[in-house]
Amino acid sequence: MPDREWKKGSAELLLLSLLEHEPRHGYELNKLIESRSRGVLRYHVASLYPLLYRLERRGWIDGRWVEKAGQRRRRYYRLTPDGKRVLAAQRRSWTAFAQAISRIAGVQHA
Amino acid sequence: MPEWRAELRRRLAPLGLSPVREAEILEELSQHLDDRYQELRSRGEADADARRIALAEVSESDRLTRELAAIEAPAPPVSAAIGQGTERGGGGHFLQDLRYGIRMLRMRPGFTAITVLTLALGIGANTAIFSVVNSVLLRPLPYPDSERLVSFWGTAPEKRLPVVNLPDALFVFLHEQSKTFEKLAAYASGGASLTGSGDPERVNASAVTPDFFTVMGVKPLFGRGFVAEEGTEGKARVAVLAHSVWRRRFGSDASIVGKPITLGGNPTVVVGIMPPGFDFPEGAEVWVPLVLNAEGLDNWYLSTVGRLKPGIRVQDAQREMAGLTDEFMLRQPARFPDAKRGSARMVAKPLRDEVVGEARTPLLILLGAVALVLLIASANIANLLLARAAARSREMAVRCCIGASPRRIAAQLLTESLLLAGAGAAAGLLLAFWGVRLLRGLSESRIPRLDQVRLDPIVLMFTVGVTVVAGLLFGLAPAIRASRVDLQDALREGGRAGTSGASRRLTNGFVVVQFALSLILLVGAGLLLRSFRHLLDVDPGFRAENVLVARIQLPESKYAEEAQVRAFYARLLESVRAVPGVLSVGLNQRVPFSGGNPQQNLYVEGQQAKPGEPIPVINSRNATPGYFAAIGTPILKGRGFEDSDNETAPPVVIVDETVAQRYWPGGDPLGKRIRTSLDTSARWMTIVGVAPNVKHASLNEQLNFELYRPFLQSVTWVNYLVIRSAIDPETLTPTIRRRVADLDPNLPVSEVHTMEQAVAGSLATRRLINALLTGFAVLAVLLAAIGIYGVMSLSVTGRLNEFGIRLALGAAPADVLRLVLRQGLLLALAGLAVGLAGAAWLTRFLGTLLFGVRPVDPVTFLGVAAVLGAVAAAACYLPARRATRADPIAALRRD
Repeated sequence: MPDREWKKGSAELLLLSLLEHEPRHGYELNKLIESRSRGVLRYHVASLYPLLYRLERRGWIDGRWVEKAGQRRRRYYRLTPDGKRVLAAQRRSWTAFAQAISRIAGVQHA
Repeated sequence: MPEWRAELRRRLAPLGLSPVREAEILEELSQHLDDRYQELRSRGEADADARRIALAEVSESDRLTRELAAIEAPAPPVSAAIGQGTERGGGGHFLQDLRYGIRMLRMRPGFTAITVLTLALGIGANTAIFSVVNSVLLRPLPYPDSERLVSFWGTAPEKRLPVVNLPDALFVFLHEQSKTFEKLAAYASGGASLTGSGDPERVNASAVTPDFFTVMGVKPLFGRGFVAEEGTEGKARVAVLAHSVWRRRFGSDASIVGKPITLGGNPTVVVGIMPPGFDFPEGAEVWVPLVLNAEGLDNWYLSTVGRLKPGIRVQDAQREMAGLTDEFMLRQPARFPDAKRGSARMVAKPLRDEVVGEARTPLLILLGAVALVLLIASANIANLLLARAAARSREMAVRCCIGASPRRIAAQLLTESLLLAGAGAAAGLLLAFWGVRLLRGLSESRIPRLDQVRLDPIVLMFTVGVTVVAGLLFGLAPAIRASRVDLQDALREGGRAGTSGASRRLTNGFVVVQFALSLILLVGAGLLLRSFRHLLDVDPGFRAENVLVARIQLPESKYAEEAQVRAFYARLLESVRAVPGVLSVGLNQRVPFSGGNPQQNLYVEGQQAKPGEPIPVINSRNATPGYFAAIGTPILKGRGFEDSDNETAPPVVIVDETVAQRYWPGGDPLGKRIRTSLDTSARWMTIVGVAPNVKHASLNEQLNFELYRPFLQSVTWVNYLVIRSAIDPETLTPTIRRRVADLDPNLPVSEVHTMEQAVAGSLATRRLINALLTGFAVLAVLLAAIGIYGVMSLSVTGRLNEFGIRLALGAAPADVLRLVLRQGLLLALAGLAVGLAGAAWLTRFLGTLLFGVRPVDPVTFLGVAAVLGAVAAAACYLPARRATRADPIAALRRD
């Protein structure tokens, strides 16, 4: 399991990119992160939601209660226009960062 | 499913989140834990294990709390969140509710400002008017046991004499016989000139029976009151001074007691000084002993004041006085041939009522008006709160879900309402403080005791009471509504501003009530304004512009003979006539609006009053030849007075139209003869002229009989100099004073004023009441307009989908416009109908304030209804316009 700092730094990017194409609720986000990372990454409630609230407060994502037939209502988060810009910028800097790391440390980029 | 909330709430508690936010987080996190738990179970974990693993995510460390603390709103001022836990102690709840209420109000500064301002106007107006009512009508007079002080007088409405004062002999008899009064005093008010130590000055002097001060229960500040023997003929002249005169004229020098001053031209020893605030009869500056003539029956001039024995009621005293008067008259059949038991009518009233006089009705009307304004304001706020309650129904529902009882929520909302009311009251008190100062400055409006108006503890108690009532009024409906919120509905609607049927009916009801009350106020104001208009149109019988009057009083001590008086006034008139700018000048013993009407009986030659018919009363005054030109009263028929109408010429008289029409309808009154006494020694006076009816007491007085006699044939010592000028009459004042002083430097010139001031003064109270009532009515209409606008706006917002669909299905915008307007106007019309009925019933209480209009005046009623209808239409138009712009596409997409 990677270092905690790693996880924290990447978490914003992960959440934003998962919300890029459709709104999702917190549990779904966590499941996606877990499955797409093949079980490497998983967030605790105690860190996932504070993170979501922080992104929401910054205006990058927008949470809304949505009801679906036969279900309890859930809070769905979607990317705001601001969030889209941030996502693009973070992607660029992560790419640059990862390339720099691999050039120096000889790590193969995933 | 396991219950996570307790654990989660424990983690969130230190953050002091707002209840709404906390509830949201609780919901979201417990859902997550539910999902996680189910996932673990489906993987084959045992129930207890799944629960433990899921919970570990939150409870392993204090991470959740720490993380959230960094993100969520910096902790609000207090950490208590409403609705958490179950019932705790009551006091703690109240403080919690209060703090939460303050926070809620601060979160919506716009709403709070509008509400507080509305309330401030309503509560401020109520406080200001009540402080006047309290000081003028309610507060006891500043005399010990003042509720036992009573005035009484005779009354003869059939002679149009509502107030008949008493003659000496009757008072002496009543004084001896009465068993209901502990003590009884008589007084007669007049004036006297005060000379020496400064300019000559006319002071209000009252002659009082010696135990007057004992009856009032007030001891002099220095010296003494009067002793019994000072009420008998031939004693040394003594006087008691009012505090005001003593300070102004004698520099508050206590050694003046025992020294002589010059009063009415006579040396008079000051025996006492009254304390400040002793003001009875109103305005009295000097009191002198009244010498009664135990046989006197000719002058009916005495006013009375008595102190009832403890436990005696005013009605008992009234009955006793009437009975004793019957007995008095029966004992003198020669003088009162018609007297029989039960014929004398007396009126006894608490002294306070007499002091307050006619101010009672208008003040109570104003109090009613401000109460209506506050009701309308409260309805507005109730509507605002109902709308907010609908918007907050999710908040309430969430609170319910997490354990708050409906009572708890209602209490919270009521606390918020009372908080609003309290803030409104605080601002209202400021307004009232300012308003009271403004009112107190309006001294020319002749409301007694107005100068004593202030905000005292009783007024503050009233304000607190009104505030609580208002807070409950507008807070109760929303609170009850909110506590009955349907959880499922509220949560499902997801915070949409929905309005349920019940609350819409309530809101509509408020609008109806507002329009009804506004109409009543506006009708009242309209009737008063029309009355005022009619009053201004009244022809007073004289032309007030460019007329200066001044009162001159010749002391009988110096001018003992009529000849001296004639000579003085002849020289004065000549001297004033020569002043540049003076067009004409004359004298009269009374000028219009100077108060007092010398009355006499009228006997017309050849027209005997039928037996049993009351002998007609006529107002009698004298005038010099120049008077009619100076005051601007034309002689309609015959001639005015001439210098030749003197003491040696045959007696002549000018009567007014009313007399001429009554006694010689269609005929010629000129040359006919009248006299004012049955006494055969009284000479007949020949009518030489007819004058128009002149309003002497007020513009709305009824027609009176009036006669004028030539000054030279009916000399009076006190007269008003009447000057018509070509220039601003007030600029003449110093010159006139100088001319009088040239003739007699000790002569006071008083009551110097223009006739325009006199007429305006007679209308001042009315003007004030009109202005206030109109102001309140306009405020009411404004509030009602805001009210209907708000309700229609909300209704349109709630129905935007419906309008969109209507438009999509082919309705023209005009149809939608009509639909909304009709809905609003129906409400307004219902209100107007109720209001018209209410106004028709209530306007009768305007009583004597009306002049020239009937209480149910169709012009006013319909006009006001039309104005309010237009206001309603205008207020509904904006929301209606918005409805026509509903987007059909959006509407379809939303559904």
